[in-house]
Amino acid sequence: MNERMAGIQPSGMLPHRSVANIKSPPPLGAGSGPGGSGPTTPTRPIISTFASPSSLRAEEDVIIVEFGTRKVQVGFAGDAAPRGTVWFGPELQRRVGDFREWQPGYVPDWRKSALGGLWGAEYELWCNEVRGQDMGLVRDRVERALREAFTKYLLIDSRPRRMVCVLPSDLPIPLLSAVLDSVFTRFQPPTVSLLSPTVSLAVAAGVRSALVVDLGWNETVVTGVYEYREVYRARSIRGGRKLTEQTHDFLARHIPQTEEKGKAESAQSVPREHVLSFEECNGIANRLVWCKPTSLGMSMAELGEGLPTVQEHEESDEESENATRKTRAVVDITLTSPQPAVSFQLPFESLAEPCETAFFDSRYSACSFDDEELPVHLLVYQSLLKLPLDVRSICMSRIIFTGGGANVLGLRQRIFDEVSHLVQTRGWDPVTGKGVDQLRSNPKLKKRGTGQAGNGPVGVQQQNGGEQDGVWHDAANVTHESDPIEEQLKKGTDKRPRVEGELRAIESVGTWSGASLMTHLKIAAVATIDRELWLQHGVLGACKPGDVDSKAHQRQSLGAGGLMRGAGGSSSWTLGVWGTM
Amino acid sequence: MSPITPYTYFQCPCSDSALFRPGDGSPSSPKNRDFGDEDGAFDPRAPRANYSLYPLEYLLYCEDCHQIRCPRCIAEEIATFYCPSCLFEVPSSNIKSEGNRCTRSCFQCPVCIAPLSVTSFETQPDPNLLGAQDHSAAHHGGPYVLNCSYCNWSSTETGVKFDKSNGIHGQLAKQRNGGTTRLTAKERKERRKELVQSGGSAQGSDHIADEHGIDMETQFANLKHFYQTQLSSSTSGGSGFSGLGELGFSSPTSLSRIMSIYTGGGSLHDKKSKSRLGNMREALEEDEGLIVANLDESAAIEKLRSEGLEGTIDTEQLQNQPPNLGEPHLHGRTRFTSELRPIPYLLRTKRSKRCPVCRHIISKPEAKIQTTRFRIRLIAGNYVPSITIRPLVLPGSSGFIQHPDALLQPLRPIQYMLTFKNPIFETVKISLATPSRTPGRFASKVTVLCPQFEIDANTDVWDEALKDDNRRKRKGEESGNPHQQPEVGKIWERGRNWVSVIVEVVPASLRVDLLEAAPDEEGDEEGEASEKPKVKREVDRGPLREDEDLLEIPMFVRVEWEVDAVGEELGSSRDKEAKEKRELAYWCVLGLGRVAQGN
Repeated sequence: MNERMAGIQPSGMLPHRSVANIKSPPPLGAGSGPGGSGPTTPTRPIISTFASPSSLRAEEDVIIVEFGTRKVQVGFAGDAAPRGTVWFGPELQRRVGDFREWQPGYVPDWRKSALGGLWGAEYELWCNEVRGQDMGLVRDRVERALREAFTKYLLIDSRPRRMVCVLPSDLPIPLLSAVLDSVFTRFQPPTVSLLSPTVSLAVAAGVRSALVVDLGWNETVVTGVYEYREVYRARSIRGGRKLTEQTHDFLARHIPQTEEKGKAESAQSVPREHVLSFEECNGIANRLVWCKPTSLGMSMAELGEGLPTVQEHEESDEESENATRKTRAVVDITLTSPQPAVSFQLPFESLAEPCETAFFDSRYSACSFDDEELPVHLLVYQSLLKLPLDVRSICMSRIIFTGGGANVLGLRQRIFDEVSHLVQTRGWDPVTGKGVDQLRSNPKLKKRGTGQAGNGPVGVQQQNGGEQDGVWHDAANVTHESDPIEEQLKKGTDKRPRVEGELRAIESVGTWSGASLMTHLKIAAVATIDRELWLQHGVLGACKPGDVDSKAHQRQSLGAGGLMRGAGGSSSWTLGVWGTM
Repeated sequence: MSPITPYTYFQCPCSDSALFRPGDGSPSSPKNRDFGDEDGAFDPRAPRANYSLYPLEYLLYCEDCHQIRCPRCIAEEIATFYCPSCLFEVPSSNIKSEGNRCTRSCFQCPVCIAPLSVTSFETQPDPNLLGAQDHSAAHHGGPYVLNCSYCNWSSTETGVKFDKSNGIHGQLAKQRNGGTTRLTAKERKERRKELVQSGGSAQGSDHIADEHGIDMETQFANLKHFYQTQLSSSTSGGSGFSGLGELGFSSPTSLSRIMSIYTGGGSLHDKKSKSRLGNMREALEEDEGLIVANLDESAAIEKLRSEGLEGTIDTEQLQNQPPNLGEPHLHGRTRFTSELRPIPYLLRTKRSKRCPVCRHIISKPEAKIQTTRFRIRLIAGNYVPSITIRPLVLPGSSGFIQHPDALLQPLRPIQYMLTFKNPIFETVKISLATPSRTPGRFASKVTVLCPQFEIDANTDVWDEALKDDNRRKRKGEESGNPHQQPEVGKIWERGRNWVSVIVEVVPASLRVDLLEAAPDEEGDEEGEASEKPKVKREVDRGPLREDEDLLEIPMFVRVEWEVDAVGEELGSSRDKEAKEKRELAYWCVLGLGRVAQGN
């Protein structure tokens, strides 16, 4: 009887499954063989007899779309990489049939389009500042970019297909709504699922927890992911745009004429006057700007511990080599966007300057930064500091760098070194300042502090510090009390030790690939939005994540509705971590 | 905007709903308010207008819905996939498995996107490389390279050579830049299978990964394999990752779950899931997809130092590169010219198009790739009156003939001749409406002298010729007169199926300092008291923006005509008045050219 009932159930979801899909599980079963996971039932023939492939819906290939500020990546679930990337730019915003860029002698008039603080704005899909932003325009841009991506790269027609959108979970809801509106009204997907880029990144790195350092375009976002959940997030405006702006200022300072005119200061004055086109600055930033290795190189060698030794070795080698070449290396740069094109030479060393100011600004002391403009290494350190102890120990050895900023040569290494330096010198002590430094540097005080209780008011302070220190060490060494829940958790897990407590960076295939992987493995997203429901209610129809009973969801999915959500019509849905109105 | 001035753009009515949709939050955004000006006049300068305007040639027409259909409101179906270079048809199943690029030998140059040709290596005498060649290179047919005949790029620059002259795509997939070989996905799978059979999965990693580290494709495959094993061995009970996963009935785990539901063993189910909780672990080895990042990029920095700007590729070239999965994550190293890969041609499609409402086909190409013909193609130009604009040159006036590219002189009235041509076999009635002042900061004045008129049907040319005398008479009446002056309410010229009317335009002065005064005066004249304070406050004296010197006139066109009713239900009841009224209404943008600056 159970057989039969189980057999009946699939009929509810038949339209969603096609032959291709049903055939996919065998590798799954085969794959479990070598893992030694015991016998598994082979796929049941029952299913194929019930699966009448529906011709109405396109073969069920799920489309994965990753939205970024500057580009959209699309592809099919199961692929290792997106099939195509569409970059936002002025060409994408022209009218259809506007072929001016193909005309001979066409020079884009960047000066005019850069007016009103819009330098580079046409290269972005949106900005996080929603006030005054035209959501209709965002919708149009999304639509055009997707249409281009679908016809040019995916080569698909307009039959409805399920879609998965990878969108940052802190995207403002109006923007999210605009994207979904555009997708639902123009492309007719039956459902759209939302995935978080940080979690997909962790999945694509093979880990459950990670510290994702996204050196993105708008800002650098550090996200702590623990057990596939985003647990902490910190941000700083030091991102790709800042780098490009710094590159602009840097180049503007070095253009021969402006130097003569003494405009060097005006480039940095508040109403920024752009003397170079965005495209060119961005190009230089992508091609030439690099990042110097940390100036704390010497101290790094002593610290050693957390770092793979190979890296340090090469670094010191490089240092000596550099010394000889430093003076010689010059780079020729030709810029065409200033009125008469200029070409000049710059020492290669100086090209690390924009990166230095954009991401570190080490000229200033740490306390002089506002919260939103923390240098990246401090941001990473503080994010780690704010994570709970267990989470921190796991996350710090799973640092993933991503985003366009990760393409700056040497930047990842630099951040990593700076952070490990901070960890080595400061430990995990949130208290900083002269007093603490004194305390730390004075071995006499320290000795007394870590020893038995000192005397006098000073002693009390020391004791406090000692305790904090003690907590950190003890956590690693103390014998655990037996905790039933803990044991339960450990029961099934692999016995192999996890790497934790040391700083380590790992490589991820990429956000898009992670989403592709998850969708391919049929991991259901928490936020799955049905087309009908969206068209009825829009973003206002979303429930709070807590209101949706995941159990009910599961049960429902196994029940009459099958995968066909919305067949019930009344099913509640949520935007998950993307929030509610 | 378009190279040919003057020009016309049509707005597809489908975008109306999107533009004026209520509940948009649009009243709050300042840019959307531009649409709301002057009774919802369309603003061709609004950034959104770029997305809804099309030249007439891009529009199709649904005969059953009597609607214009633009590329945004059309349902497409793919007829064939083909490579634009070799014109070979690609079966649709290959698209899924092999990707969206030509898998034969069609490549584009990564530097200049010209087509690459396969040439024998000897044709380019390069002593250094030839010396390094150890095997039978001397015979013709020896190694082959991809060569760009336009910019002279050659695949030897990245150290890639081929043994055979065909199947380059396959050979390229097995080679890294620099000439080292790599395993393709298929080979890797076989390798893995062998390893598993021999029972040594532990040393699998050193076999699968070669000296270059694990490339992205391999990492992805490893991860996939790892997760599949993990998922199949863990329940979908409660662990975070697979919590809602595995809904497919094909998996044994969910079957067991269903069983437990139906045997009423809620407690059993719970126990089971608890006991297996957290079964899924993370990847721990390279073989499972975990790769410790190599952060050391000093070699790349050195390379950048020695090669400078010439050693790197520009943004466009970078964006044209296909994703290179044959390498470990390159991060910043993709910038070097040595990392360039030949670009396999992107496949293209032939698509047939349907009306999304009535599902009728409105465009269907010939399935054969070599032909460019269409079986069905209902282009809008056959249904919608076309509009052409010409500056009016009065025969009697001074011999000043305006060059089409010449700039318009601000504040000097110009007359334009708008010619409407009727493509359909019925007489159509046309009403035009334009805002008297174009939207935007620099408002030009526009007057259509004759906003309502009729155009005769597009009858047979021979019929016309037979009724020749009649027509000639009329022509002589209207345009033969050298002293004819444009008059309000009168058609300028009329032909078999066309009518010309006059539009008078006073281009605005582009001087920013005059901006304030101009709208104010106008406000007084028209008595728009409410408009006045607003305009005063919002005067924007910023310098000229891109395309602000373009003079574009939004024009609302309404076409009405009558046809013989075709519906049976109509034909039976009202035989007498078996005429059906049809109308079509849409916005157009007439681009007249750029206004001269500086006076």
